[in-house]
Amino acid sequence: MNPPNPPNSMPPPAGPPQRPARQIRGPQSALTDFLASQGINANQIRQDADARRAAARASLQNGGGDGDDDAPSPEAESEVAPARKETKAQAAKRKKEEEKAIAKIKASKQFQRRRKQYGSDDDMSDEDEAARAIFEESMAPLPGQMENCELCEKRFSVTAYSRAGPDGGLLCPKCSKELGKEEGSAKKKRKIAAGRARRQLQSNLLDGIYPGAKDLMTLCIETLAKNVHNADSLGDLSDELVDKIAAILSKKRLMTPETLYLFLRPGSDTVTVYDAAKLTSDDFIRIFQIVPTVKHLRLRNAIQFKNKVMDHLLGTTVELETLSLHGSNLIDDGRWDQFLTEKGSHLRALKVYNTDGHFGDEQLEMVATHCPNLHRLKVCHNQKVTTKGVHHIAKMPNLTHLSLELYQQMPFLEGDLSLTDVLDSTGAGLRTLSLATIHNLTNNVLKDIHDNCQNLSKLRLTDNSTFTDDGFANLFTGWLNPPLIYIDLHKCRHIDAAEPRENPNRVGLGSAGFEALMAHSGLTLKHLNVHSCRHISREAFENVFAEDKTYLEMQEIDISFCQSVNDFVVGSIFRSCPNLKTLKVFGNFGVKEVKVPKGKILIGVPNALGMQIEGTEEDEGRVI
Amino acid sequence: MASSSQKQGSSKYVTLISSDGFEFVVLREAACISKAIKKMLAGSFLETKRGDRCHFEEINGIVLEKVAEYFCYNHKNRNREDVPDMEIPPELCLELLMAADYLDT
Repeated sequence: MNPPNPPNSMPPPAGPPQRPARQIRGPQSALTDFLASQGINANQIRQDADARRAAARASLQNGGGDGDDDAPSPEAESEVAPARKETKAQAAKRKKEEEKAIAKIKASKQFQRRRKQYGSDDDMSDEDEAARAIFEESMAPLPGQMENCELCEKRFSVTAYSRAGPDGGLLCPKCSKELGKEEGSAKKKRKIAAGRARRQLQSNLLDGIYPGAKDLMTLCIETLAKNVHNADSLGDLSDELVDKIAAILSKKRLMTPETLYLFLRPGSDTVTVYDAAKLTSDDFIRIFQIVPTVKHLRLRNAIQFKNKVMDHLLGTTVELETLSLHGSNLIDDGRWDQFLTEKGSHLRALKVYNTDGHFGDEQLEMVATHCPNLHRLKVCHNQKVTTKGVHHIAKMPNLTHLSLELYQQMPFLEGDLSLTDVLDSTGAGLRTLSLATIHNLTNNVLKDIHDNCQNLSKLRLTDNSTFTDDGFANLFTGWLNPPLIYIDLHKCRHIDAAEPRENPNRVGLGSAGFEALMAHSGLTLKHLNVHSCRHISREAFENVFAEDKTYLEMQEIDISFCQSVNDFVVGSIFRSCPNLKTLKVFGNFGVKEVKVPKGKILIGVPNALGMQIEGTEEDEGRVI
Repeated sequence: MASSSQKQGSSKYVTLISSDGFEFVVLREAACISKAIKKMLAGSFLETKRGDRCHFEEINGIVLEKVAEYFCYNHKNRNREDVPDMEIPPELCLELLMAADYLDT
């Protein structure tokens, strides 16, 4: 067995004061206080010093041979073999002394105390080991002595702050500083990683992804996204998979001119780019060159889809059936007119988002005259279309899907009249109707919907403060339309800064309207959004989600900022909607500590804890 | 349904067989994460000759090994929230993706 690390190959320096503490006689010096607080006393120091001197003497007698571990010098090395032979007896003696010292340590009170302290520590479970550790510790150089650094082997003077290296030896200030830096960065990294994991979990919850093992497809797509720059082609993946990959790449902002090629598959009829912000005009032109068979073109953030690209499109034989352009605000009205005149006859779906000052009333008129086959029309975030343009929509009788979000508010009554026109002519065929940010429309529109629409499956009427509770109740009572699948009535509420609590005219979606809605559509409803409909009472919620009512289809509910919602209502919703995936309750301060059944996501609980998962027979409940 | 529950009683494990003849024995419960395998085991598909053996003519041994590994990974982590992602070698990615699409996992 190797002798324990010799404490110091050099004899202890004769001159330097070994323990300044011994010289202090004053009753209350700061150093005495400090030493006392560290549990250091004179007796122990003397014992340690004696043991060390004995050991040092022993190692001295061994000759320089033992020192070669620390700082081998060529001369010492040549004499290693004979020196070792000589020391056999010495080593035995030293071992004996060592054992004696260890036995002494074991018997000491301090050791017993330490044992108790480290009782739970596995490293200290073995008594012998523990005693040896203490022994070796006490053999380490004392402050004030010189020592060779364990890593760089430079000599330095030991201080109370000298740190132990990886193998138990001491380190010089420079090395300990570097060690500290490394450890610090590792600790920091761990902390950052933990924070990132937690934020990622919350982000996933907001996206409706339940935490836990991801499914294999997601794992593969994410790996693919990470390595997309190494991919040459996507092979013969199915269209849905390609679409999913495209979506995830765009989410990670990886859709560049290079990766775009993966999704341009000659012969395909669909090109979808969910984030085209990094593409240039030439890239858009290339889409038509590589995939001349494209029928369905959907581009988001397609800012560079400008006149030049439109001109190229007009020069090709491409016959688009679906055109969905988001953010293309550099196409002027003249080009839109030209496109609609020349290519409009094939169009079945036209969606235009965020075109700023372009695509106005005249273009809607062109759509009405040149696109006889149009089924789907969506004009979103548009600053130019006015009531006049809305009138033109009435001339598109084949529409099945209509969606409008206009920034030019339709004036009172005039807006109603234009929509009456539209619903009279198209209402019977409409399957989805979405009218967002409609501040000034009144109950007349609700009545028109009730009278004209009998095929709707999705209805959105948002951000309005003139519809009344009775208006909604009348809409959903005795409506010939089959039950809806998607309802979004968010922000239909009364606003009055002076009297925020009063609602004398029962403006907005209230209790009666909500109960009528659920009675009409509850059984088939999948998505329900009534956020900010703050006039719905707690009783209404309790009636709708009573014990004997179940809504099997319901998947997603948003009841944020409905003041009356509390723990009981949330619990009732979970009971009544067994297939619910996500429930949003932002700003509902009555929701405090409701237990969420496993597999469901509750978003927006107003406390720092997050949602609490209910325990099952298998495992315990917890908070995530 | 009675026959399928009988089959359930027959064995806790199922055998997945790749196109090149490799066999992987995994927990039935773990393999049923795949909706396709679940249906295979419940019904009388051609691929399942005896209640607990599934032949995959289009998945080779390397990919099926990864799939089996995923079943175990998923089963092991079924009650945890903070799950580290399973490593997927990029070169297997596309084939595995097609297998995952086929198996509906």
